[in-house]
Amino acid sequence: MRESPRQIFVLVASFALLAALPWIAGAVGRPDLVTLGSQACVMAIAAASLDLLMGRTGLPSFGHAAWLGLGAYTVGILAFHARDLGPPWDQWAVQAWAVWPLAVLVPAALAAVIGALCLRTSGISFIMITLAFAQMFFFLFVALKTYGGDDGLTLRRRSTIPGIAPRDDVAFFYVCLTALVLVLLLLRRVAASRFGTVLDGIRQNERRMMAIGLSPFPYKLAAFVLSAGIAGLAGALHVNLFRFASPDLLHWTMSGELMVMVVLGGLGSLWGAMFGAAAMVVLHAVLAQWTEHWQIVLGPILVAVVLLARRGLWGALGGK
Amino acid sequence: MTLLLEQLLNGLQFGVMLFLMAAGLTLVFGIMGLINLAHGSLYMIGAYAAAWATLQTGSFVLGLLAGLSAAAVLGMALEAVILRRLYARDHLDQVLATFGVILFCNEAVAMIFGRQPLMAGPPPWLSGAVEIVPGVPYPVYRLAIIATGLLVAAGLYVLISRTRIGMLVRAGATHRELVGALGVRIGLLYTAVFGLGALLAGLAGALTGPLLAVQVGMGERILITTFVVIVIGGLGSIRGALAGAMLVGMVDTLTRGFLPATLRAVLPASEADALGAGLSSMAVFILMAIVLLWRPRGLFPAHA
Amino acid sequence: MSALLEVRGLAKRFGGLVATDGLNLDVASGEIHALIGPNGAGKTTAIGQIAGEIRPDAGTIHLAGQDITRLGVPARVRAGMTRSFQITQVLMNASALANVALVEQVRQGHSFRLWRPAARDERLLAPARAMLERVGLGARADVAAEDLSHGERRQLELAMALATNPRLLLLDEPMAGLGTTESAAMTVLLAALKQEVSILLVEHDMDAVFALADRITVLEGGRVIAHGTPAAIRADAAVRDAYLGAA
Ligand SMILES: Nc1ncnc2c1ncn2[C@@H]1O[C@H](COP(=O)(O)OP(=O)(O)OP(=O)(O)O)[C@@H](O)[C@H]1O
Ligand SMILES: [Mg+2]
Repeated sequence: MRESPRQIFVLVASFALLAALPWIAGAVGRPDLVTLGSQACVMAIAAASLDLLMGRTGLPSFGHAAWLGLGAYTVGILAFHARDLGPPWDQWAVQAWAVWPLAVLVPAALAAVIGALCLRTSGISFIMITLAFAQMFFFLFVALKTYGGDDGLTLRRRSTIPGIAPRDDVAFFYVCLTALVLVLLLLRRVAASRFGTVLDGIRQNERRMMAIGLSPFPYKLAAFVLSAGIAGLAGALHVNLFRFASPDLLHWTMSGELMVMVVLGGLGSLWGAMFGAAAMVVLHAVLAQWTEHWQIVLGPILVAVVLLARRGLWGALGGK
Repeated sequence: MTLLLEQLLNGLQFGVMLFLMAAGLTLVFGIMGLINLAHGSLYMIGAYAAAWATLQTGSFVLGLLAGLSAAAVLGMALEAVILRRLYARDHLDQVLATFGVILFCNEAVAMIFGRQPLMAGPPPWLSGAVEIVPGVPYPVYRLAIIATGLLVAAGLYVLISRTRIGMLVRAGATHRELVGALGVRIGLLYTAVFGLGALLAGLAGALTGPLLAVQVGMGERILITTFVVIVIGGLGSIRGALAGAMLVGMVDTLTRGFLPATLRAVLPASEADALGAGLSSMAVFILMAIVLLWRPRGLFPAHA
Repeated sequence: MSALLEVRGLAKRFGGLVATDGLNLDVASGEIHALIGPNGAGKTTAIGQIAGEIRPDAGTIHLAGQDITRLGVPARVRAGMTRSFQITQVLMNASALANVALVEQVRQGHSFRLWRPAARDERLLAPARAMLERVGLGARADVAAEDLSHGERRQLELAMALATNPRLLLLDEPMAGLGTTESAAMTVLLAALKQEVSILLVEHDMDAVFALADRITVLEGGRVIAHGTPAAIRADAAVRDAYLGAA
């Protein structure tokens, strides 16, 4: 897990660029770039959490969007009911410090149940079953007319963070960026820990791990739950960013895109997920500007990436 | 009672459709070890080609032929150009590349046919209803679908149990063993198997078209239900695909048919309908969870 | 006397093929017990069942008096028995040291620590280094497993099995693919281990088998066709026909 000098340089440069994004956006007269930057940070958090599963533990989940969506809806639904609650709950239900942890815990708790089921299978069945369960949550939110059904749920104002004006997009960008940095540092720490070493071993050779006396299941489940919780945080940020949660966030295409981000960035490389996410977000924005049918370009790009560029962006940076 | 019979037949009809889809997917997986997400796109292509040709020519039969050949030809082209390179890759690569194919197909179809659904009803000679038992009319077209599906199932059964290739497949032959038995024309065999799977998907699409709106996104809806079928039935097993398809078809249709009405007994009508719809679309996933708890490898695991 | 490992009536079929056919086997404490037989005799399948990877159709397995027939692989390792693999199974991306340190970590049972870095933890590294010294890999500790030679990987495979601190080792062809000098070194190593661990040894290298084994069981077609001391086995006509003669 040692970064090469070139990789460290690119990392520092990227974070410096991100930190300066609001000024750059102001200078070129494109304030919308700030929102794009926030979106990239949020998706990077989600992709990095998925990389913990796919890249580190060797569990290719095709249902990660479910946790993103559940995190978003947790924030949205609590805010929706805030006015019906008596004090002090009505205040708490819109406070970031109270609601965001719940947006982590709710997906994590559900992931404990769903994960326990999915981990009874492996390989291709695991891909199919994670996809199917995520799609189950998608249908659930489409059917919940109280929360907007397939029209989605609007968040009237962002979760309250002391000292930050709810309408201040630049301040919110820095919130997202801080969250991203903290998540990446946490995940890097976990990767190097005893727990992370075990996950690595499970990915490389599960049979060997069992023959040295390790039962893989609890570790896989823990990784599943942890990654769902972090994706839930990304969901909480996402709903705040756009003040809107919709079932699209749980749709299977979102799960697919998250997988693409991880692989595009470089499977198992942690930092790579960030670059993969940023690349996808920017690609979306650029292609969507150019043609309404941007997916007709994105599809072949995906195929080409899989067939030709296996090591991803981060691996390409590493040289070797 | 009448309603129940009707819903059972609807469930059978949906199950037959799911079987056509699942059979192709599981056959391709069993022989080539490939998981093809774009299987749903072939279904969509079959449906579009059939609906479009029917509307152009006014002939259902020509439409059906167009749907079948479009799906089979495009399927084999897809295999030859892209998927062939994925056989030796891991499942993750297969999933991602075929995910890209889906995005492309959906957008291409939207550009050619627009976002408005195509509607082409069943032909006059298959319209109307017959009384299956006195007092219970049932649409002829749906009966025709059921008959076609059962015929295909029988055909597949013969193919798998009577031919040499079928035997090898049933025995869970590896790539090398297949090469040994069939010589170097293995690439041709793979393309043919893939074409057969595509043909079945196209058949499912072309037959379903007249029952619902032909639109972009229809492929993924049925694809995910097909995954549920395969997980329940057991990966790589045609018998499992049949059992899983019937089970899922029935459960889905019956919950959709009866759950909202049951809920109305305890809830206000509008809420009951919404909740009932939501719960019934979750029903097959819950079924899958139960089966997995009981049998992690599905009902009929291949080569157990 | 109750043996350390007691296998009774073990049976396993793969479809029509009987891979294990009523196998009875005892390994006494402090013994090296060799399990030999021609290719396809069912040796690896027997090891797989004893180790818990393959579920037998019938029969019981006891370790130090405890019935372990229904335990999974990790539980059997914790009960004091582990295996090595005929085809090397080590973590190729990790260094030799990291491979053994991971075993040490699992044995110590503290793998749910998510914060402190594992790679510089002396509580894991010190015993791991000692183990590598023992199997003769001390100088190669920091080399990635994928860059080790085949013989070195076989040593690493043994080090990993030993690091679980077993009472019984199931070794599936530890000499597979080794040259003559490497085999001789491995034989010396295994002989030295005898003081502290019992071994069920599957091996095709007859020099090694006769040098090491206290007792030998001969399998053919999943059945025991002979068992006894090396001298008795060497003299056994049936064994000679089935196996030694052909070799
Ligand atoms: N999973 C399996 N499925 C079907 N047959 C199997 C399986 N594993 C082993 N066999 C068969 O069982 C028999 C015994 O195999 P096994 O690997 O135990 O032999 P072995 O004595 O270890 O041989 P070798 O000396 O070549 O390692 C062989 O005929 C083998 O082909
Ligand atoms: Mg063997």
